[in-house]
Amino acid sequence: MTATSQHGFHPDAESLSAFSEQVLGARERAEVLAHLAVCGRCRQVVALAREAADAGEVTAAAPPRKTVAPNAWWKQWRLVWVPTAVVAAFAAASISVYIEQADRHGPNIKIAEQNPAPSATPPSTPSPTEQAKVEPPAAAAPAPPPAHPAKHAHSAAPEPLPAPAPPVVAAQMPSESEAPEPGAPAPGVMNRVEVMREAQPPSHAEAMPAPPELTASAMRPADSQPASGASEGEQKQAEQQRQAEVDRSHMRNFKGKAAPFAVHGANAAPPAGATETATAAPQLETQPAATAEPAPMLGIKSSWDVTTPAKPMQLPSGLASVFIASGGHFLLAIDKTGALFLSEDRGVTWERITTQWTGRAVAVRRRARDHGAPQAAPSAQNGTTGGSSADTGPAPSPAIFFELSNDKNQTWVSTDGRTWTPK
Amino acid sequence: MAPTESAASAAETAIPNGTGAPDCVPDRSLDRALAAELWRGCDAARWGLTRDEFEQILVDAGTAQNFGLSEAANATPPTRQQQAVFFRSLCVADFALARACARGNERAWEHLVAAYRQPLTRAAIAITGSETLGCDLADQLYAELYGLNVREGQRRCPLLSYRGRGSLMGWLRTTLAQRHVDHYRRTRREEPIGQSNDVDEFDAAAPDPPPQTPARELSLLERAIEQAVSSCNAEERYLLAAYYLDGQTLLEIARVLGVHEATVSRRLHRTADQIRKQILKNLQRRGMSRRAAQEAMGADARDLEVNLKKLLQNSQSEAFQEQAAS
Repeated sequence: MTATSQHGFHPDAESLSAFSEQVLGARERAEVLAHLAVCGRCRQVVALAREAADAGEVTAAAPPRKTVAPNAWWKQWRLVWVPTAVVAAFAAASISVYIEQADRHGPNIKIAEQNPAPSATPPSTPSPTEQAKVEPPAAAAPAPPPAHPAKHAHSAAPEPLPAPAPPVVAAQMPSESEAPEPGAPAPGVMNRVEVMREAQPPSHAEAMPAPPELTASAMRPADSQPASGASEGEQKQAEQQRQAEVDRSHMRNFKGKAAPFAVHGANAAPPAGATETATAAPQLETQPAATAEPAPMLGIKSSWDVTTPAKPMQLPSGLASVFIASGGHFLLAIDKTGALFLSEDRGVTWERITTQWTGRAVAVRRRARDHGAPQAAPSAQNGTTGGSSADTGPAPSPAIFFELSNDKNQTWVSTDGRTWTPK
Repeated sequence: MAPTESAASAAETAIPNGTGAPDCVPDRSLDRALAAELWRGCDAARWGLTRDEFEQILVDAGTAQNFGLSEAANATPPTRQQQAVFFRSLCVADFALARACARGNERAWEHLVAAYRQPLTRAAIAITGSETLGCDLADQLYAELYGLNVREGQRRCPLLSYRGRGSLMGWLRTTLAQRHVDHYRRTRREEPIGQSNDVDEFDAAAPDPPPQTPARELSLLERAIEQAVSSCNAEERYLLAAYYLDGQTLLEIARVLGVHEATVSRRLHRTADQIRKQILKNLQRRGMSRRAAQEAMGADARDLEVNLKKLLQNSQSEAFQEQAAS
C-alpha cells in the first residue's frame, strides 16, 4: 500500500482533491479516474468536495453587503423618490385644503352680501327702507348685489332655546338709523352678544375683548360716516376694502360651499323675534333691523373663527356665565345658578338684578321689536320709546328689549335689564 | 482500518512522528538558492517557522516523494532543476503550514484557524446541507487536525497526510467530504427498513409478464451488453456511472473533469453510440443476423437481467487493486 491509497482501495483525500483541482499527472489522473469510474463512494466524495468548492467560490465572489460603491446612495435614493413624491403631494394637498378652510373660517372682516329674508318675501323685491336701515352709511352708494336666499334660510327660524350650534361671531357696522351722531361716543364693540355656553369658566378679560379685526372695523364707526370728518382718501380706502370683501363673498357664494356655521344676522334682517345663538363667546352679531320686512342689504359683517371655543365670563357670584346678552352698553349675564347680572360698562362692573321672575333663569336674549310685535311691557321700558337714540345713551334702544326665560319656559321682558315684567 | 488512520499511517511512513527526518533516506541536500526562493514565496515566517525548520520540511517532503522522480532514479540525488520542478508543482506555503501545525507550532495553528476556519465551516455546511451538521463536522475535523487523537502514545495529526499536491483548502474539503460520506454510509445501514430508500431490495415485485423476446436472444443480449460495457475505458465508465448511476448533472461532471459541459454531453452521446454499436457487433459475432440483432436491441429493458451498477462497480480499478496488493 502506498501513500496515495486510502483504506486499501480508495485514493486518499489529497489525490482526490488534486484530481478535482486538475493538478495530478497524467498517469496518476488516469488511475484516479479509473477508480472513480468504479467507486461510487469516491465519486460522491469528489462531487461533494467540488460542490463545496463552488459554494465557497460563490460566497467569496459575492460582494460584501456593506460595501457601497460610489454614488450608490444616489441609486438607492432613487427608489425613495417615488414614495417621497407621493407623500409630498399628499402633504401639499392637505396644506392647500387646510389653508382654504382656514381662509374660509378664519378671523376676517368681510362685507357680506345681504340676502333676502327667508320669509315669503321674494328676493327680487327688496324693501328700500330695509336697505337703508341696514346699510352702513358709507356703503350707501354701491348697489346691492344679488340676493342669495339660501344663505339665511336656517337663520330665519327662531330658536326658543339656545342650541349648541357652532360659535358664530358677527359684528355689524351700525346702521344708518342706529349710527351715532358725529362726536357721540362710539357704540360698544358688541352691539349684541348672545352666547350659549357649555361651561368652562374663563377669565373675564379673556371673554370680553374683541379680536383685532373686529375691533378695527367695529370700533371705527366714523369710517362709515361720511360726515365724521374722515378724509376722502380714508373713505376711498375703506370703500375699496369693503368692495374686496364683497367680491370675496361673491366668490364663496358662487362656489356653492355654504359655510358650515351660520354667519348671519349682520345684514340678514332676520324676522322679528329671531334669535341668534351660539356657543361661542363673545358673540357679536350685527344689529338686526328694527323692522321685520326683509330686504337685501349690504353691510359689514364681522366674524372670527367659529372654531374658537367660547370662554364664559366670570361673574361676581364667582360662577361662570352661561348666557350673555348685550344691547348698547348693557350686558346681561346669567350664571349657573340662574342669577342675573347687569353691566353697563361692558363687563367691568356688575350689578346683581333682584329676582323678579319665578323659577330659575336659564336664558336671556336680546330681542328686536318689529312693527307687528307687541310692545312688550311698555310700562317697564323706562319710558324710552324712541328708536334712534337707542345706542347713544346708556339705555338700549327702545326697539330692542331683553327677554329672559326661566326653566319653565316662561318669559319676562325688560328694556333696561333691571325691571322685568312677564310677557 | 479507518480512512483517517490509513492516511495518517501513510504519512507516517514517510515522516515518522511528524517531527523529524525520515529514518532511511539518502542524504539529499536542498539547493540553497531554491530554498531561499521558496522561503520568500511562502512567507512562512508569519507563523513563526524558522528557515531551518522550513528547509527541513522541504527535504522531508522531497525525500518522501523522491522529488517526483521514478523509483528507478532513487539512487541518484536529484538535480537542482528536478528539485525546482518538484517543489514548484507543490503548494509549498500550504504544505509548510500544514507541517508546522502538525509539529505543534501554535502560531501556525492560529494562522490556520484564522485563514481556514470559516471557509471550512461553509464547506462543511455545503457538504452536509445542514448548518448544524456542517458545524459539527467541521468541529470534529478541527479536533482531529489539532491532534487530539492519540495512538500508541503519539499524537496523530491528519495534516501529516497532506503532501502539498493541491491546495490545503481543497484537501480539507475533500477530507470533510470523506468524513461525511463514510459517516453516511455507516449510519445508513442502521436505518430501519421502513425508512430505507433502497426500496428495490425490499419491495415485493409484481410478477413479470412473460418476455416477448425469446430467452435465447435475451441471454445473448445480456452477454453482449456486459462485454460492451466492460470494453469502455475509464473516462467513459466514469461518465456513465456519474451520469446514469449517480445522477450527477453534466455541469457537475464537467467541473470535476475540468472540461466544458458540452464536452461531457458530447462524450456521453459518443459513449452510448459506441456501446450500442458494440452490442450489435457482439450479437452478430454470436451468430445473429444484423436484422435479428437490431430486433433484439428493441427488447424491453425490463426483460434483461443486466445490473448496470453491478457491472460498472465490479470492474475494480486495476491500478488501486495493484497498489493495495502491493
